[in-house]
Amino acid sequence: MELLIPAIISGLLMGMLFALVALGLAIIFGVMDIVNFAHGEFLMVGMYTTFLTSTYLSIEPLLTIPVAATLGLILGVASYYLLVRHLLKGPMIAQLLGTFGLMIFLRYLAMAIFGPDYKILQQGLLIGKSAKWGAVIISYPKLGTAVISVIAFGAVYWLINRTRLGMALKATSLNAEAASYMGINTERMRALAWGLGGATVGIAGALLTNFYYANPTVGMLFALIAFATVAMGGFGSIKGAFIAGLIMGLLIDVGGTFIGPQHKFALIYLTYFLVVIFRPQGLFGW
Amino acid sequence: MNTLKDALSFGDLPRSERIGFFLFIVFCLVFPWIIKNAFTQAVMIQFLIFCLYGLGWNLIGGYGGQVALGQAKNVGMSAYTVALLMVWWDVPFWVSTPLGIIVATVESFILGYFLFRLKGHYFAIATICVSLVWQQLFINWDLIGGARGVELPLKETPNFVYMQFSSPVYYHYFAFILVMGAIFYMNWFRKSRLGFQLRAISSGEDVAESLGINIHWVKVKAYCITGIFAGAGGAFYAVYYNYIDPFSVMHLELSILIALMTMIGGAGSMWGPIIGAMILIPLDRYLGAWLGGLGVTGVDFIIYALMVMIISAYEPRGIWGIIEKARAKR
Repeated sequence: MELLIPAIISGLLMGMLFALVALGLAIIFGVMDIVNFAHGEFLMVGMYTTFLTSTYLSIEPLLTIPVAATLGLILGVASYYLLVRHLLKGPMIAQLLGTFGLMIFLRYLAMAIFGPDYKILQQGLLIGKSAKWGAVIISYPKLGTAVISVIAFGAVYWLINRTRLGMALKATSLNAEAASYMGINTERMRALAWGLGGATVGIAGALLTNFYYANPTVGMLFALIAFATVAMGGFGSIKGAFIAGLIMGLLIDVGGTFIGPQHKFALIYLTYFLVVIFRPQGLFGW
Repeated sequence: MNTLKDALSFGDLPRSERIGFFLFIVFCLVFPWIIKNAFTQAVMIQFLIFCLYGLGWNLIGGYGGQVALGQAKNVGMSAYTVALLMVWWDVPFWVSTPLGIIVATVESFILGYFLFRLKGHYFAIATICVSLVWQQLFINWDLIGGARGVELPLKETPNFVYMQFSSPVYYHYFAFILVMGAIFYMNWFRKSRLGFQLRAISSGEDVAESLGINIHWVKVKAYCITGIFAGAGGAFYAVYYNYIDPFSVMHLELSILIALMTMIGGAGSMWGPIIGAMILIPLDRYLGAWLGGLGVTGVDFIIYALMVMIISAYEPRGIWGIIEKARAKR
């Protein structure tokens, strides 16, 4: 019990972040049936943005979130117009390897610029602080991350379900051709999906930097968690991404506590396999 | 008999391609006698090894259109089999290589059997996951050397049985024979039943299935053949370098490099993988040697990534597609 309760709490907190990371992937997939392999690298860009702005300009890391979100938005929209738009015309293999190329490009660009060192934030409002109740220790960076993740997730959910823009996005994802007859600029909606994907994952990166190191290759791990999350929630389902994110967080932290932390990522892969083989449509997919 | 004729006859290809192929053979044959520089010779052997990997990947990735990012684990398994059998029981290369290839092929079969239930991106992500699991396992498994890798013991005298030679020329010719074998196989393959079935699958699975092709079985078969190619390359790699570690033969980066290389050269064409290797491997080694001296890493990968993005966006058939387009215009 002493081990279980902290693991559950930490798992749920991490799960909210995983949900935010998976959200962008789910939106992009929902709107145009394409998997963004560079998603983890977008997260890495967000992490470096926060690290660099808060270290060199001495700004509180939490205040750099808008910067990371804006940069993610620009990155997403730019990759749509410069790359993805052209990929959609090609065969499946070109779509897959095209975003794969984007992933390699961003990763090694970061490697060439920042080097392979692990960068960790030293100063910040939440960094290194924690609250203690009996045996349960809650780290403030994780708590803050979870709270802001849920707010960001809620904002995107509201945007998609309650605004005209979101309705247009949803219409495009249901049937792009019909949507274009209704006067929706589907091209712009796709760019918006990429922008939203980039912005949300940029926010996630900014939050993650509060308690995790930044490194050019950090993206792969979180991208795989996000792939597993999205597969579990059902590709394209936003509600599914949230619940699956929480489940993934619990699996990784609770499972990692009991089978040993070095194996906890094997759990992600295992979950991915079990889900795609036995329930490929996911928990909430259609 | 017919099989052999199909493999050896290039008669259906245009004359320019036949001349190109002939020049390639001549170039490879005379290369060690003209170029005496050790570094250039090493690059050439690397090029030949990557030709082999690429020709293999082209089967499943190019002709079959399945993005399988796990060549490295087949390379690694075969290389480890050869290396460990020699370290533990002094097994000669010629005995351990077939075993290594069998290990790689059986792994491909078992994995392919399960993974080919998945399609498209589900499949691609799953192959990445499997590669990472194997990579982790090989790094942490102390019995087989862990992260330190395995060093093959050197014999006192050059030894044909263990494939230890005093001069790289022998390795060059051995690798060249492997590549020629692969090219003849691919030449047979593209005219064979399996070749047509795979191309049908890549252009439309539903149509292929309605024509009575057992999609799952054809994909698994192609995946196993890919494993054989990678296994042969891995076995050669082990004796050529006399040292292997999980980072050089099991790493996901190797799988990615093979896929990108084939894609740039032209996935699904006879000569694409060779063209890809011809461009990328010298670029990789010379750029790596030059920039490594300057202390910058990863620029080579940035260049491949840019190339692969441009090619998948504008000409998914790669450099070979550009050549064919230019030829059609004339």
